[in-house]
Amino acid sequence: MAKEVGKDRFGDFYIDGGKVRKRREWRGVADTLYDYSRWLGIMMTLGKFVMKPRNVKAMFRYRWMANYLAVPMMVDRHTQGLRGEYLRICHEEQDLVINDVAQLLDNLFRGDRRIGNDTEFSKKVVLVDENEMTAVMMGFPTLKCLSRETPSTYVSVLLNQHAAEHYIDVAQEFGLAGDVCPMPEAEAGVSIDDDAPVLGACAIQCNTTCDGSLLGNGVISRRLELEDGIPVFQLAAPLRHREDDVQEYAAQEIRNAIAFIEKHTGETWDWKAYFECARRVNYATRCRQEWLEMNRTPYPQVFGSNLALYTETNYMAICGRIPAFERADRRISKLAQQAYAKKKMAAKEYRHRAIIWGVQSHYYMDFLVWLLNCWGIVPLTDMLSMVSTRELVEEDTPENRETAIYDMAWLTENMIMRNRTHGGYKVLLDELWEFTEQFNADMVILWEHMSCKALTGMHGMFEERARELGVNLVWVTHDLFDPRIISRQGVRDQINNYMRTVMREEPLDPSLEVLHDEESW
Amino acid sequence: MNKLLKLLGKLLLILLGFFVVTFTVYIFNLDMKLTAMIEPFLLRHYDRIERDRHL
Repeated sequence: MAKEVGKDRFGDFYIDGGKVRKRREWRGVADTLYDYSRWLGIMMTLGKFVMKPRNVKAMFRYRWMANYLAVPMMVDRHTQGLRGEYLRICHEEQDLVINDVAQLLDNLFRGDRRIGNDTEFSKKVVLVDENEMTAVMMGFPTLKCLSRETPSTYVSVLLNQHAAEHYIDVAQEFGLAGDVCPMPEAEAGVSIDDDAPVLGACAIQCNTTCDGSLLGNGVISRRLELEDGIPVFQLAAPLRHREDDVQEYAAQEIRNAIAFIEKHTGETWDWKAYFECARRVNYATRCRQEWLEMNRTPYPQVFGSNLALYTETNYMAICGRIPAFERADRRISKLAQQAYAKKKMAAKEYRHRAIIWGVQSHYYMDFLVWLLNCWGIVPLTDMLSMVSTRELVEEDTPENRETAIYDMAWLTENMIMRNRTHGGYKVLLDELWEFTEQFNADMVILWEHMSCKALTGMHGMFEERARELGVNLVWVTHDLFDPRIISRQGVRDQINNYMRTVMREEPLDPSLEVLHDEESW
Repeated sequence: MNKLLKLLGKLLLILLGFFVVTFTVYIFNLDMKLTAMIEPFLLRHYDRIERDRHL
């Protein structure tokens, strides 16, 4: 039980083969009371959620809802070892995301034909993919932009590592290939298993990242259109997103998507609302750049899962539409500046500065916290946080309205993941080494998502370039949503082996090196 | 005055009781230990639900 950073043996909190941990951390009086107060806040959010009978009904209808029992534990995983400003930044983000997901669930069940069946509300709902920029919804303030895949698969795997296994198996039982990305496969599995809420005036699907994603969308849209009578628009954003000659086509796709939403909801595009959202997107971008600027110095402040999880949510799912995220950006920046001024550190020792690249394992997102606590490796930034920094036009003029269409197209083309896994050699490979230099990193940890064809082809090129530059390159193979293929310990072992055999180092916290958490949430 | 003091005393006792109980739940992770016990029952329930499973 320690107040000081790095004094605890975090491995001692785990129960061998157990689902949950023995107890919560003692972080000193002030930080423990702070963490306790935020835990109470989370319990209140969950309490308010289950007060509504329709949400309880949904809990007993949808298998993936069981994962939400693990919400407080997800927060505990990401706050492991954090003190002071780092702890507060983490809670600012996590608690807000929890609140946002609770609202998303509440809205889904309100309109769901099986649960709340509020038909008037449902007419104002536009369904979107989980892995999709919500830029085309920035000018529809009276509509609800809801994703069914976010709570059923994406968030579920963050809560419980085994969450997607059932749905992956269902999809494969019905003959879907076993070697596609488990994320779209699980999303398709939810649809096949008749476990997705049914609501909405229409839906927008995007050719997000890969072949698996297209496969999953096909299965889902078939059910939506042919059985549920919900029309679906396929927003096909160009993959060569850095090329000038594709931008006009991309802009036309945005115009078409907006027209489709207007047609099926009866609403009209609101430029005032759009430009207000654009201003908030720009503010979020400036904050993110400020945090990344700090991470280039010896005293990084917003990094690891504090950077990764929040950026994914704020950039892609929120896209300036929810003012609470702007307030959170402001508070996070203030906390980061305070900690930076005091030259604070999140662990007792920073041994290596790492760029995390590739598509991360969702069942092990707290890997970034583990890297820091176990080996003193600072995850300065990750591939999915290195998204567009282009400033959007904010002033409502006739010329800017035309530019804004191109801005939305740019955001959609440059959504998280696809902006790096597609778009050519430069965005995936060359820019990694530019970031390595800019961040003064001596290590690159390369997630190798074994079902992602977009990255596997470049394995040799990454190795060749790392050798030339003298950067320590550590491959970490995983199967994104399926820990039965490579377990959390399987992930950790790849780092442990590299650190012991190549770097010849001993861990900062040896109790974290081997954890029997295969049954854990 | 006495009544007010008594009321304040009671309020403080209630708050203290609330703190002791909830802090014990928090620090010993009892909330998660309880929900971990609930999960298997829920999973069995989901298995029994009739579904229209198809592509």
